[in-house]
Amino acid sequence: MKSLSLILPYFVEQRLQIFCGIFCLIAVDFLQLFIPRILKRAVDDLTLFAAGASVLMRYALYLAAIALLMSVFRYGWRRCLIGFSRRVEEGLRNQLFSHVQHLSAEYFQEVKTGDLMAHATNDIQNVRMAMGMGLVALTDAVVLGTAAVGFMAFINVRLTLFALIPAPFIIFGTRIFSRKMHRRYLGVQQEFSNMTEAVRERFAGIRIIKAYNRKADEIRRISEISRSYVKSNMNLVRLTGSFFPLMMFFSNLSLALVFFLGGRQTISLEISPGDFVAFISYIGLLTWPMMAIGWVTNLIQRGRASMDRLQIISQTRPKIADAPDALSFQKAEGRIRFDGVCFSYPPSGPKALRDVDFLLKPGEILGIVGPPGSGKTSLVGLIPRIFDVSSGKILLDGIDIRGIKLEDLRAQISFMPQEPFLFARTIAENILFGKSGATSDEMMRASRAAGLYETVMAFEKGFDTLVGEKGAVLSGGQKQRIALARALINPAPVLILDDPISQVDTQTAAGIIETLRKMAGKRTMIIVSHRLSAVRFADQIIVLDQGRITESGNHESLMELRGYYAKTFQLQQIEEAVHAR
Amino acid sequence: MHVDYGYFEEQQLGKPYDIRLMRRMLPFATPYRGLLSFSVFLVILITVLDLALPYLTKIAIDQYIVPGGSQKSAVRHLVADLKDEKISAVVEKYSGLFEIQADEARIELTDLEKISFKDRLALRKNDLIGVTRMAGIFLLCVTLSFALNFLQVWIMEYAGQKIMHDLRVRLYTHIQDLSSAFFTRNPVGRLVTRVTSDVQNMHELFTSVITFVFQDVFLLVGISIVLLALHWQLALVTFTVIPAVALASVYFASQAREAFRTLRIKIAEINTRFAETIGGISIIQLFRRGPDNLRDFETLNHEHYLAGMRQIHVFALFMPVVELLGTVAMALVIYYGGSGVVSGHITLGELVAFLSYMKMFFTPIRDIAEKYNIMQNAMASAERIFLILDSGERIPVASDGSTDPEHISDIVFENVCFSYVPAEPVLKDVSFRVHAGKTLALVGPTGSGKSSVIHLLIRFYAPDQGRILISGKDISAWNPENLRAGMALVAQDPFIFSATVRENIVGGNGEIGDEQMERIIDAACCRNLIRRLPKGLDTVLSEGGSSLSSGERQLMAMARAIARDPELIILDEATSYIDSGTEQDIQQAMANLMKGRTSILVAHRLATARSADRILVLRDGRIVESGTHGELMARKEFYWRLNQVQG
Repeated sequence: MKSLSLILPYFVEQRLQIFCGIFCLIAVDFLQLFIPRILKRAVDDLTLFAAGASVLMRYALYLAAIALLMSVFRYGWRRCLIGFSRRVEEGLRNQLFSHVQHLSAEYFQEVKTGDLMAHATNDIQNVRMAMGMGLVALTDAVVLGTAAVGFMAFINVRLTLFALIPAPFIIFGTRIFSRKMHRRYLGVQQEFSNMTEAVRERFAGIRIIKAYNRKADEIRRISEISRSYVKSNMNLVRLTGSFFPLMMFFSNLSLALVFFLGGRQTISLEISPGDFVAFISYIGLLTWPMMAIGWVTNLIQRGRASMDRLQIISQTRPKIADAPDALSFQKAEGRIRFDGVCFSYPPSGPKALRDVDFLLKPGEILGIVGPPGSGKTSLVGLIPRIFDVSSGKILLDGIDIRGIKLEDLRAQISFMPQEPFLFARTIAENILFGKSGATSDEMMRASRAAGLYETVMAFEKGFDTLVGEKGAVLSGGQKQRIALARALINPAPVLILDDPISQVDTQTAAGIIETLRKMAGKRTMIIVSHRLSAVRFADQIIVLDQGRITESGNHESLMELRGYYAKTFQLQQIEEAVHAR
Repeated sequence: MHVDYGYFEEQQLGKPYDIRLMRRMLPFATPYRGLLSFSVFLVILITVLDLALPYLTKIAIDQYIVPGGSQKSAVRHLVADLKDEKISAVVEKYSGLFEIQADEARIELTDLEKISFKDRLALRKNDLIGVTRMAGIFLLCVTLSFALNFLQVWIMEYAGQKIMHDLRVRLYTHIQDLSSAFFTRNPVGRLVTRVTSDVQNMHELFTSVITFVFQDVFLLVGISIVLLALHWQLALVTFTVIPAVALASVYFASQAREAFRTLRIKIAEINTRFAETIGGISIIQLFRRGPDNLRDFETLNHEHYLAGMRQIHVFALFMPVVELLGTVAMALVIYYGGSGVVSGHITLGELVAFLSYMKMFFTPIRDIAEKYNIMQNAMASAERIFLILDSGERIPVASDGSTDPEHISDIVFENVCFSYVPAEPVLKDVSFRVHAGKTLALVGPTGSGKSSVIHLLIRFYAPDQGRILISGKDISAWNPENLRAGMALVAQDPFIFSATVRENIVGGNGEIGDEQMERIIDAACCRNLIRRLPKGLDTVLSEGGSSLSSGERQLMAMARAIARDPELIILDEATSYIDSGTEQDIQQAMANLMKGRTSILVAHRLATARSADRILVLRDGRIVESGTHGELMARKEFYWRLNQVQG
């Protein structure tokens, strides 16, 4: 029950609303029960032809008045109780979102996006249902159920007992059915996601399917999977299809019993015809609360399971967080030192970096090169603490970065990751993301520096162009340059660029390199690149191979070394000469 | 997995119904018209049974429970049949209370109390039998209705699922046939949504529209008819609430539609934002935009909350208004019907039946808004599905496309030009010839057009200018299936399906014997790889073979190619660094694969190209040099320089 702590505050915050809601609901329940009473009086009077126009008018007015009152109260409980559940939903979703946003990169390596999304949608919805309709069903079951039975017993106890014979079937039937239905529903969802994945895989691998003439086979496979989805659906329908008719059947069975016994009792004058008619109405009113008893238990169970899952997330602590005695940091000079840094991810896995040492003075430029998988991206990721070192340490201005407040550390760094992640907003918003409160002047300057300005101005909507999900409407090079502009707009003392020009054409790249060169001395820069022209001018260049520094120096000294750097440089020179021609 | 939450498409508001779309659905329903009409027939039966229940109550009340309603008299009398001995015995015992006329004895209803309980039962034994019979019939109707209901739902769902299955397969087949350009433009996630979620939405349409049109409309019409037949004046009086109900329904349906739509858009936006935040989490953290992002999210989430409250408001108004109108109708029945009972125009049973029918009348009306929403949703999905079915974007297939299996011998490119995007040519005037059985290697820097040559050859795209001839015949005249049947492609990053190793190698086509399989495994050097897997050939490779290394995936692709025993091998060498363990295996497998076959090979490492019969050097979409390794090295130009550095 500890998971209640997540929602308890909402009960406290909304106590007045909950109270009003329940009050209205109970009022509706009782008012409903008086309608059969009025019918009874009318029918009894009419049986004896003893109702004059004024009496009938009075009954009709009673009914209208009750109906009007009920309408008001009905509005009240829906607004209050269902509204309360929406409030819980909103609050929980905000909590989840803000919590997830604080978790470290490691968490997202382990947990699939799909699972997190499921928490954000299904689990929160389950809690909302339990809070809203669950509360209503519970109140109805208790209040309307007992009161209706009471009113019926007031008419005739024996008839009430008879009429209630099918009640246990409804209560337990609903409980069993709704639990089973839920399970089969999960089965259907599973089949649905299997089908989704199967279709996705085939569309993603469409070329192989075509090249290998496998179209007919794949249609057959998809057809099979679709059939199995149909089967799981039919499996569910066997339950859902019988559930409501069956419950109606039990309710009607009560009616048949009342018909039989109540009819006899009316004939033998044990009850009046009005009682008979009222009884039939009460049976109608009772069906819902009886179903509610069965339903609400499952609803609450499901809500609780979901709440437990949400609780687990909210108790996950970010792996990378401030140390208790972390220092705040105003503005770094930008001296970066790696001291025997080793890193592996996962911790038990092979080492991605081994004994990396270097010192970068403020305003210096470091170039990092090496074959794919040599550890370049891992290395730069350690500086803003996307991951933490396994051993050794990294110092910023002489302070171990793990001793600096995370927020302050990251404020010193502007970072352009290898994969340019764009948000489904406008180009301007994506660039301005780099610095909060940046002016449009700054944006223009950053985009010129990134060789982006002309490209964007050629778009019909310029910087207001929507880039689509993950920048779908842009080419790779355009995305990369937006990400670069985003990094350049941020004036932090340390600038880290992970492969900034890999998808940009030679001419534009030359322009970008020129701008970067001009920044030399103003800020500390680390540039990872496969294209060596992007690091040629660096004060220091290191070559990584399998996590180790194998060569280091500046361009001239590395060329003399005739190692990896020199070879790769020559090769690229030839290639670029061809392109430039 | 990429998920498309459909946010972008939700903006446009679908019509709640669209005859044009419905008509297009018809062909899909036709094969199941038998089932569907049977289902409709069942619906009619069920409606009749449901309508019978209040009528049975009426009969029971008027004939047995409270008889004597139709006499023109100020007090209600009970009539006893004197022909029955037991009854006449009771009448004799209390003769003072009865008014005897010939075979009948009349007694005022209020005087019945003066008769003892036992005698009362005896006097009304026929009524008791009658009530029991009615209760029996009632039970029978109820049971039958339950059984038919179950059958109907089942049949309806079965037919609906079958139709959707057909539609889904048809849609999948259609999309699968579309050209590569279509796939470059449409994200996979969106296409998947069409085949899965959108089809599912349409299923809702099928079941709910049919139940709505038939079940609810039949019921409403049925009730109206029964009411008119029972007592047309009272029926007309109660019908006065119908305009108000109709007005309320139409008004609220449109309100609810807006509310549902905003709610749907908002939740889609929330999901998109949530997924996007997870995807871009490191960027958000690095640029310390968490608080801003949270603020944006909270705003969005609050808009969703407000949309939710709006929906609650609409429903909280609509539901009580419908209930109110229902109760007003009841009050009308009591007032006018009651007067009718007193004046003898209406029986008590009719009045009670009226009350029950009124209750039945208002139930379907309460669900109208929700059904409206479902229909609208489904129509939007239908629209999107048909949009895809209508797009016929495919590489044109020659009409004469002969089906005779042909052999692949010489391959000729004649002045081929090609561009993916207009005005950005990737191949410029490319011409070459490969003789049967020979190996051609394509080398050149990234982006020089090597892979495009392959794409054209396999007909993923068609050239803008020039011709490609295979065995002397323009490939646009080949039936693509026949063309591809003779080829095997080994792609740079081979696509592995979530299936067993065996299925990945042989595909669906053709049975391959164990012995032959062994040969394939040996030739593709997959022995070690398969030994490593827990279930050998029958190991299921999950998630695109993520459990395999890139080298192992390459080997699988070779095995796949060898299994086809093709005439032409098209091989795009992997650029990524292959672990040294598998490198030798790959070289060996490649040699086995190309032996005795025509091969076209995109070489990223010059060592691979060295042994080719001919090497083409591409630069910016043009062939700049061609010849054997020896010839090119002797020329001491571009190829030679590349070798100088890389060697």
